[in-house]
Amino acid sequence: MQKEKAGKKKQWSQTIFLIVILALPILNWLVFWLYINLNSILLAFQDRNANWTLQNFAEFWESLVEPVDYGGSVQLALLNTLKYFAVDLLVLLPLALILSYFMYKRIFGFRVFRVIFYLPVIISAVALTTVYKEFIDPNGPLGKICELFGITMPAEGLLARNGSATNMILIYHIWTGFGVNVLLLGGAMSRIPLDVLEAARLDGVGPGREIMEFILPLIWPTLSTMLIFQLTAVFTASGPILLFSPNGDYNTTTISFWIFKRVYGGGIVSTGVSAREINLVSCTGLCFTAIGVPLILGARKLLEKIPAVEY
Amino acid sequence: MGGYMKKRNKESSILFKRSGREKIIFGIVFAFMVIYSFTMLYALFFLITNSFESRLGYLDKLSSEGNPFALPEVWHWENYAKAFGELSFTSVNTGKELGLGVMFLNSIWYIGFTVGGGILASAFMAYALSKYKFKANGFIYGVAIFSMTIPVVGNMGASFKLMSDLNIYNTPWYVILTCFSGTGFNFLILYGVFKNISWSYAEAVFVDGGGHFTVFFRIMLPQAFTPMLALAVVAAIGCWNDYMTPLLYLPDFPTVASGIYQIDLEFSRIGDIPATFAGLVISILPMLVLYAACSDIIMKNFTMGGLKG
Repeated sequence: MQKEKAGKKKQWSQTIFLIVILALPILNWLVFWLYINLNSILLAFQDRNANWTLQNFAEFWESLVEPVDYGGSVQLALLNTLKYFAVDLLVLLPLALILSYFMYKRIFGFRVFRVIFYLPVIISAVALTTVYKEFIDPNGPLGKICELFGITMPAEGLLARNGSATNMILIYHIWTGFGVNVLLLGGAMSRIPLDVLEAARLDGVGPGREIMEFILPLIWPTLSTMLIFQLTAVFTASGPILLFSPNGDYNTTTISFWIFKRVYGGGIVSTGVSAREINLVSCTGLCFTAIGVPLILGARKLLEKIPAVEY
Repeated sequence: MGGYMKKRNKESSILFKRSGREKIIFGIVFAFMVIYSFTMLYALFFLITNSFESRLGYLDKLSSEGNPFALPEVWHWENYAKAFGELSFTSVNTGKELGLGVMFLNSIWYIGFTVGGGILASAFMAYALSKYKFKANGFIYGVAIFSMTIPVVGNMGASFKLMSDLNIYNTPWYVILTCFSGTGFNFLILYGVFKNISWSYAEAVFVDGGGHFTVFFRIMLPQAFTPMLALAVVAAIGCWNDYMTPLLYLPDFPTVASGIYQIDLEFSRIGDIPATFAGLVISILPMLVLYAACSDIIMKNFTMGGLKG
């Protein structure tokens, strides 16, 4: 009886403890994740006066299928977003993997490189974009270097042309995009037991096989998580468009930026909620989320099929 | 000492030894890394040296006849005083002049709440889910992972509406109420950290009559302190450099990043770019110092496990 009482008391104190420490994050999730996302779905079917309508879907569709030159802003935003997504997945992540490998293998100066590759995370994007814009100015350092090779840069600058503005932002995105990926992959590689690699080398395993058959499987839990996060950004991938082109001119807009501009407006409080295009934004978001969810869940299932090595 | 030497020797044999072909590949990668590093360091050098340039001197440099690589002829240290004293923008809503000093103060409380609340809430969630078996455990973990991996697009409108409805838009309450998010990157890392801490410490405390709160606050949190510090530093750097959230939700409380962005827009138009550069240098210094002080902690404590659930 005494034992049972003590057991019950123990159980109660554990329950109270769990309720206390979980209450705050769960409440936060309910209000700022679940409510917001459910309300976002409802807003997609409403107009500014909260009347039910499908007009937002018609507007979204028009903006998606209309040619870019005739105002198809969502189409343009989608195309640019997919460019950023492709760069993140096919350029930045593989490059970060390669760089992390060489730093892990103690390339000469690896400690210094590790800090330098992380610098873009530390230095604010506002500062880096300002310097980058000056650097690629026709009269800036890049312009003068081009002059030396007999290349003339367009007088209006590469960021003020429809054909080159997005590409220049993509280059900036690559230039500053290694930081966190290198940090995470480096962290995962540093946990690899050296005995495993030593034994492999003694058995005559070369660097190629070492990467494919030992290092990649051993860092797979981290790498697969990073891949899933990258895939999650399929419709939200973007660069710092606001810092380069505050109005998204020269065909630079992405879905994230398109949404931001419609909610942010001129950034003036007094215009209130009604002046902002939150219904169209919610509808656009709902459509892309509806396409994205099955894609990501499918990709996640596929990635989970590759077994992780426990060590 | 002996252990260290043994480890170093083992590292030497595996991580430092290369075949002839490998040496060539390492050489190529090394060259790439040097070029990349040069561009990054040159960008910093360009920013710092030109922050000492005169307004007209800089415009001359970036004219068609100018030399953008030239160093300032006279070093204008007063640009830094100007940056602190004169760099400001006028709030559209209140008409108040907002300078760098106010922005630094805003950044400090913004980081304090966002980082402190976020890390603490993640630690609560991660500890409860990694160390306790209870009925809702699997469900809560599944929901946490689901909400991190689901590609939600476009809820910014609904979020904005909620902040307005709650009357917390453009007030510090927005930061205080939204900061206790227990899911996300911090949760993922701390879940792994707590999972690897032995439960036998807790059992010893229970035997001595201690409760769950004692175990968490006196035993578990101190053991997870270093990874939490690493997360806090990385999150603080992210918050310091985040310009979009304060622009959108806190227009009258500009942080250094969002304020400098608005100053940059205004000052670039009137042409005092070196003064803006000085402001930018001032704005990046605190994070460079923080990173220099904590780089080892960050590098050694960033390991993220897989997503299961």
